[in-house]
Amino acid sequence: MKDPSLTRERFIQGTAAGAASLAFGVPAFVPRRSEAADMVIIGVAEPYSGVYAAYGESETRGAQAAIDAWNKKGGVMGRKVAMSKEDEQSDPGVGVQKARKLVNQDKAVALMGTVSSAVSLSITGAANALGTLFIDSGGHTDDVTGKSCKWNTFRVCHSTWMETHATGSTLAHKFGKKWYLITPDYAFGHALSTGYQDVAAKIGATIVHEDLTPLGTTDFSPYLTKVLPAKPDVLLILPQGDDFINCVKQANQFGILKKIAAGGPQVELEAVWALPPEARVGFWGMEWYYKGTTVFGAGNTVAQQWVAEYRKKYGTPPTARSFFGYTAMDRILWGINEAKSTDSVKISKVLEGAHFQSPLLDTTAFFRKEDHQLMWPMWTGTIRPNGTPEDKYDIFDLIDKQPALAIEQTVTEKAAVCKMNYPS
Amino acid sequence: MFEHVAPELFNGLILGGFYAVVAIGLSLIMNLTGTVNMAHGSFLTLGGYLAFTLVARGTSFWVALLIAPLLTVIVGIAVERSMMVPLYRRDPVYSLLLTFGLSLMAEEAFRLIWGSRGLPFSPPPELAGGITLGFMQFPTFRLFIVVVLAVALGGLALFLLRTRFGLRLRAAVQDTEMIAALGTNTQILYMVNFGLGIFLAGLAGVLAAVMFQLSPTTGNQLLMPAFVTVIVGGMGSLYGALAGGILIGLAISLVTLYIPAASEVAMYILMAIVLLVRPRGLFGEEGIFG
Repeated sequence: MKDPSLTRERFIQGTAAGAASLAFGVPAFVPRRSEAADMVIIGVAEPYSGVYAAYGESETRGAQAAIDAWNKKGGVMGRKVAMSKEDEQSDPGVGVQKARKLVNQDKAVALMGTVSSAVSLSITGAANALGTLFIDSGGHTDDVTGKSCKWNTFRVCHSTWMETHATGSTLAHKFGKKWYLITPDYAFGHALSTGYQDVAAKIGATIVHEDLTPLGTTDFSPYLTKVLPAKPDVLLILPQGDDFINCVKQANQFGILKKIAAGGPQVELEAVWALPPEARVGFWGMEWYYKGTTVFGAGNTVAQQWVAEYRKKYGTPPTARSFFGYTAMDRILWGINEAKSTDSVKISKVLEGAHFQSPLLDTTAFFRKEDHQLMWPMWTGTIRPNGTPEDKYDIFDLIDKQPALAIEQTVTEKAAVCKMNYPS
Repeated sequence: MFEHVAPELFNGLILGGFYAVVAIGLSLIMNLTGTVNMAHGSFLTLGGYLAFTLVARGTSFWVALLIAPLLTVIVGIAVERSMMVPLYRRDPVYSLLLTFGLSLMAEEAFRLIWGSRGLPFSPPPELAGGITLGFMQFPTFRLFIVVVLAVALGGLALFLLRTRFGLRLRAAVQDTEMIAALGTNTQILYMVNFGLGIFLAGLAGVLAAVMFQLSPTTGNQLLMPAFVTVIVGGMGSLYGALAGGILIGLAISLVTLYIPAASEVAMYILMAIVLLVRPRGLFGEEGIFG
């Protein structure tokens, strides 16, 4: 016999769930079906939760700025552009699901995004199976443009090889050749480690110790207590996101940053702003900065206006992640417009090797045909703990600029591992 | 050998004590009402954010250390009274699902209010820097955490063991229906007990925000070690939570010394061993969920 109260209860549960779904409706960022038919939809898969959430947000803001700029000009192929966003949660499996959903359900004609290298790799595979263009805006591991390269995948941010080769020699020259590495235990960290080993072998440096730390490590003290007894010249801090903040903050608490130099392949403004001033130290790679003539060139009013508008809208200056998002989206839309098609093969062919002048750089850049890596310079510098009197966010002092060709592997080296197999 | 092991042992004890406080808060709530509070990490994060906001507005850190957990308790009790009370008589899965949903909503709420980016939270000047212990330099703030945890746990023990209210709480854990039949208002017991657990979470949140970092995910990252601590120590036992926390802290620290890449799984291996050898946990009681 049926239990009436149970039936009623289930009914209430069901209607409550249904009502909630109706109340929230379709997420605001997904255009309504009637509008979507007339629009070009670009799928954006970023981490909006977890350790890389702040980076995902910055990349999305940059991408939105690119969409706004294109829509102001009339869109692409006479159609307005919109993004459909999904939270890939820094989880490779979730990334694949979200990529499929964006393409199959939201009808995205191209994909961009990711911060975690593991997700970049998983979406690279998923996008290839879907036959959809994917621009990896922020996952650095070499494999994306190396052994896992695909005809439909391009990358904006620097590769781990570029980051380690832009910083390694200077770190050795400035501080010494005995290095202690704290490395995140996934694709990104492993690739950075390989890069620094290569630099160390070339310049005669020694990696005295390396600890692999799981992604999402909160307490770094068990690792940090081992650093000073190993007597290194430099502590290379490779984790990013919340892990970077935890590691640097605790290295400062243990007095390590006062005793030995610290630095690493990349520092992200989002993370440094989250550090207390006393922990803001070190020599780092910087992928893009929101001011400086070595970044924009002298008198680049377009870039200055872009930065001012971004600050006005979001309250903080744009970061390297904002630039990645902007460039990835801008290149997708330029490619569609140029190819006069949303066909991924045609867009990929148009993007390959095409030099372009970004309004946010003083030099031209291009996606290298052989591996689809964006070739653009990288900067190094030190941190100003308290910013400047006029701008508390201006915490990075740019020292040097390295051209892309000097820090990335050669075309010949890449050709040995990267095989582009376009669909016949 | 000693110069390597001693810092790890010392650090492991402190880390374990920290996990224990979070776990004791979880245990308190679980013991009386059978609620597996998946939102415990969110209350921890809230404590951190409230303390940060108070300090940023000019309140002294010492005042914020007390006020922020109390404000967290107010939010906690509001949640408990409005949403959890109706689920106390149901299967624990209901409250588990509710608190899981609450934790997701809380993370988004923190993001909306305080932003996705982490916030810089420094210790007060008197707790900054380090103290030389002979075998290493140790952060003053971590030693301060030991003092705070000892005071909090001592206070809790006194409350539970030496007050009439504590006596009723312990009796209610044994047999809620009997103590209700004897005329005690069990709803007040539930509320105060939940508040105690949330106070410990809020306190741990302030300490974690300074020691680790303050972002919407701070609490949830600490929640899993706390759950493992409860399982290792044994459900239903506050002593077990303390012992479990210290064991896990030591295990993580010592494994990091020799096999760093395995540091994350160390606590799960320890949990698996305990579950195999003594399924109820080190100090646990059988059939806590009846």
